[in-house]
Amino acid sequence: MAQSHPAPSHAPHEAHGHHEEMSFWSKYVFSTDHKMIAMQYMVTGMAMGMVAAFFSYVFRMEMAFPNREIPFWGLVTPAQYNALITNHGAIMVFWVAMPVLIAAFGNFLIPLMLGADDMVFPKINRLSYQVFLLSALVLISSWFVPGGGFGGAWTMYPPLSAHSAYSLTPMGSTLFVTAVALEFVAFLLGGINFVTTAMNSRAPGMKMYDVPIVVWFIVIASIMFMASVGPLIAGAIMLLFDQTIGTAFFDPNRGGDPLLWQHLFWFFGHPEVYVVLLPAMGIVADVMATFARKKLFAYKTILYTAFATGVLSFTVWAHHQFVAGIDPRMANIFTVTTLLISVPIAEMCFVYIATLYGGSISLTTPMLWALSFVGEFLIGGVTGIFLGSSGTDIYLHDTYFVLAHFHYTFFPIAIIGTFAGFTYWFPKMSGKMLNETLGKIHFWGTIIPFNGIFLPLFVTGIAGDQRRIYDHNNFPELATPLLQHLREFATISLVVMLLFQVFFFVNVFWSLWKGKKAERNPWKANTLEWVADSPPPHGNFREMPTVYRGPYEYSAPGRTEDYWPQNVPN
Amino acid sequence: MIEHFLPAASSFAHEIDFTFDLIFWLVGFWFLLSEAVFFWLIFRFRKKDGVRGQYITGELKSEKRWITIPHGLVLLCDVVILIFAIQTWYHIKQQLPPADETVRIVGQQWAWSFELPGPDGKLGTADDIRTVDELHVQVNRLYHFKLEARDVVHSFSVPAFRLKQDAMPGRVITGWFKPIQTGTFDIQCTQICGIGHGIMGARLVVETPEQHAAWIAEHSTTSVAAVASPSAGE
Amino acid sequence: MAVRTASGLRDVSRPPRPQLVPSSVMAMLIFVFTEVMLFAGLISAFSIMRSTALIWPPPNQPRLPVAETAFNTAVLLASGVALALAHRVHRRRPERARLPLLAAVLLGAFFVGFQGREWVGLIAQGLTLTSSSLGSFFYLIVGLHALHAVAALGVLVYAWRRLAQGWLPPSVLGAAEVFWYFVVGIWPLLYWRVYL
Ligand code: HEA
Ligand code: HEA
Ligand code: CUA
Ligand SMILES: [Cu+2]
Repeated sequence: MAQSHPAPSHAPHEAHGHHEEMSFWSKYVFSTDHKMIAMQYMVTGMAMGMVAAFFSYVFRMEMAFPNREIPFWGLVTPAQYNALITNHGAIMVFWVAMPVLIAAFGNFLIPLMLGADDMVFPKINRLSYQVFLLSALVLISSWFVPGGGFGGAWTMYPPLSAHSAYSLTPMGSTLFVTAVALEFVAFLLGGINFVTTAMNSRAPGMKMYDVPIVVWFIVIASIMFMASVGPLIAGAIMLLFDQTIGTAFFDPNRGGDPLLWQHLFWFFGHPEVYVVLLPAMGIVADVMATFARKKLFAYKTILYTAFATGVLSFTVWAHHQFVAGIDPRMANIFTVTTLLISVPIAEMCFVYIATLYGGSISLTTPMLWALSFVGEFLIGGVTGIFLGSSGTDIYLHDTYFVLAHFHYTFFPIAIIGTFAGFTYWFPKMSGKMLNETLGKIHFWGTIIPFNGIFLPLFVTGIAGDQRRIYDHNNFPELATPLLQHLREFATISLVVMLLFQVFFFVNVFWSLWKGKKAERNPWKANTLEWVADSPPPHGNFREMPTVYRGPYEYSAPGRTEDYWPQNVPN
Repeated sequence: MIEHFLPAASSFAHEIDFTFDLIFWLVGFWFLLSEAVFFWLIFRFRKKDGVRGQYITGELKSEKRWITIPHGLVLLCDVVILIFAIQTWYHIKQQLPPADETVRIVGQQWAWSFELPGPDGKLGTADDIRTVDELHVQVNRLYHFKLEARDVVHSFSVPAFRLKQDAMPGRVITGWFKPIQTGTFDIQCTQICGIGHGIMGARLVVETPEQHAAWIAEHSTTSVAAVASPSAGE
Repeated sequence: MAVRTASGLRDVSRPPRPQLVPSSVMAMLIFVFTEVMLFAGLISAFSIMRSTALIWPPPNQPRLPVAETAFNTAVLLASGVALALAHRVHRRRPERARLPLLAAVLLGAFFVGFQGREWVGLIAQGLTLTSSSLGSFFYLIVGLHALHAVAALGVLVYAWRRLAQGWLPPSVLGAAEVFWYFVVGIWPLLYWRVYL
């Protein structure tokens, strides 16, 4: 067992001083350095993000302009359509949001912000990325097998997913489920590392309440992930067995129960949405404190709301199954818990807003992203209430209202939150500053079309548009010109948004190549990662920092500077 | 809000629309308030030369009030929403008013078939009327439905009725509806069920008693032919 | 213990980072926590299915051997006790922990072997993975447990070999113990939910 090795941060024998020359392979591919692994996750996640964004382009075009040749794709068949949305959803959640928010930022930030030189188990960390990469490759290969990619939605409800006679994708479904299961294993390995590192590798003097919110949130999210994923791994094994050797777990004809899968999936699936929410919230907290030059309002309250959310999130899963044939009396319990969970999250949002009070806010690019996260997430949050209320969910279930709800949560999390963190820590990651003008163009060019995509989809959802339909005009009530115009508007907004992403990539590559050199602490922030060089060498700190205070002591009275780094004695 | 786009053609449609609107106003209020405060703060405390940020921990009682009071009020709103949500749910899904008639609805890849009791008023007898992709019912009658699925999960949805219920293979799920408006409405399958999911629609025809009687009369005489139609329609 | 700084030098002036629980034990605890959730998922899935099934147990399927397995459960528990004994001895006289550790391994191996024999019998009587949902669940749950038992036995054997070679760090024994106690501890639960 690799776990049994003693903690390498205490192992003096490893001789990887940063002066040593390393081969390309050991530096970029088989590195055990947490920052390199973070970059591997980031780049893989970004690449998968582009694939999933391209998929969304294809199927949105199909919905807006049905049965026409789509540039860069061609005609979309119904089977292709299903595979596209299924893989879009799965990629965005499992291969973009998770790896970027948890694995990339977690790997990069946890050791740096805690003042450690690496993760506790660097080899497990490397293994985690390798399993993750394998899972991505398995997923990609599933699109090219006979029968094509799996098209039974990212929720994989059996019997559709369990029998190739129903799904018509014999190999696609198996590879899809395998890929998802592998991805879980990768994040289990990563999560063990995150939690152990946060517990055991903090810099001297750093107490629980001196840990930055983003680290807390990534750790809480990892714990939630590990607590919820077990049942779904069990479910995935059962589903794989049903597919490949014909067991009867979900087969009603031999005593199995298809509803079982839905419980297993959503028992994981609902905590999962908070698993990705928390890291993004954490990033936003850190960015907001820095650029508002403000101490976070009620640090401890923020933590408690996160704990409350974490616990409650395990009790709400069946709100996805109100009309799935569960006992109607059971639905009432889940309505109550679902509405209750809005309270800690509302409180968290209020705390963030209150943090702005009395600040000195500079609207840099990272700050714009962070603020827009709060503004946009509120829309996603409040529309969740319509769905959590069982009475209205009878109508809204599986309409575009649900879809717009969760894109208003997921997009802020996976895209806006990522951009906030990426632009904020880019100087530390690369040693170069990003260009502000290009950054702001990219920001507005993303935010405005984003609302242009999904606000109209709330309306089509209320009017009855259902999900996973390649051409709504097949249904007379949905074939009105107004609805079709809204769909077209959404699609055009998407195309605009995708075009604006060019600014992001130009910005990144240009800055890497010619950008201004970043100082150690360009934002004048307090947390420990800014003590290390930009970019930090292997081993991170020249001298291990000692922590004297909490992470958010901005604008403290009686000091000439308006910040007070954690490692400065006085 | 919803009735603006769709007729409210069943007895419980108005209740759902009402609950929807109620939630809309309640959370809409909080949403607008939060956003207004949010944007005002960004504007009010934008960076100005020579003005430093303030040092506020948010741990004092007098400061925390700004969070705890809204917190309590949100909880209150939640309770109000809960009452209406559960009440609506109870009326539609939990209670089962006595039926005037019972129909069987079967979903399979990728068609809906329906079974009406026919002149004798009983399901499962020889004079049942079977149809595919078209369900004929009579206005102001309370129907129970027995919902089944042959192969995979489907979902029986009539947007104009605000009715939705998944059909599970291996189970028979009972529910009810009562049309209050004549006309022809969409039936959709709202659970992904394979490549034909996008075309798995049907029509629901709500008729006046006279029309319905005529339709029954016409179809019960040709019931032998109609029995064959489910397989023909696939 | 000294802390290594980035330059590779030891910084002796600083106190080491305090470790609440040794990292390897902590990692194993977290791992076991997910495993508990995995089995909890399986058990609740099995319970849900059982309670919603129209006829239970499925007709034409053999009964599970309740009494024999009760005996086997006792054997497994004894193995856990042996390991606890090894732990106590190891703290004071490490070299004398070899015997109880070996006893734990052998008892555990007996448990797995006995299970295997039981399976052969059940398969002969017509209970297979695909014969019914009972069969599917039985082999999945018990098989997954057996797989964990084998892996944990591997860790125990590794610990035993290191002890035989002279030196077994307490943190390694601790990690191995956490894993084995999990295997032992979850079994009575499985026995109760699946066999009874
Ligand atoms: C990270 C993503 C994320 C987040 C954070 C949320 C947050 C919430 N979600 Fe969402 N949800 C999804 C992702 C997410 N969801 C996804 C992916 C699906 C669909 C999956 C699929 O089917 O494919 C889904 C589907 C979904 C459903 C099922 C719909 C259906 O299929 O029929 C429900 C039902 O209850 C629901 C509810 C909620 C609630 C109550 C919250 C709450 O946490 C929101 C709480 C936040 C607020 C309420 C805002 C702040 C508060 C205020 C401004 C105060 C005012 C509020 C009140 C007065 C109450 N969601
Ligand atoms: C994180 C989650 C996430 C994100 C970000 C998105 C983003 C988008 N989604 Fe997605 N979507 C889902 C999760 C997500 N989706 C899920 C779970 C489903 C359900 C699937 C199912 O039914 O089974 C779904 C389904 C879904 C549908 C429904 C299809 C149907 O039911 O028929 C539609 C339709 O319009 C849609 C559209 C879009 C669009 C236009 C975007 C656009 O916002 C996309 C724009 C993307 C970009 C602008 C990417 C830019 C980023 C990069 C290029 C990388 C940079 C990255 C770093 C810096 C790290 N999505
Ligand atoms: Cu049947 Cu979708
Ligand atoms: Cu949910």
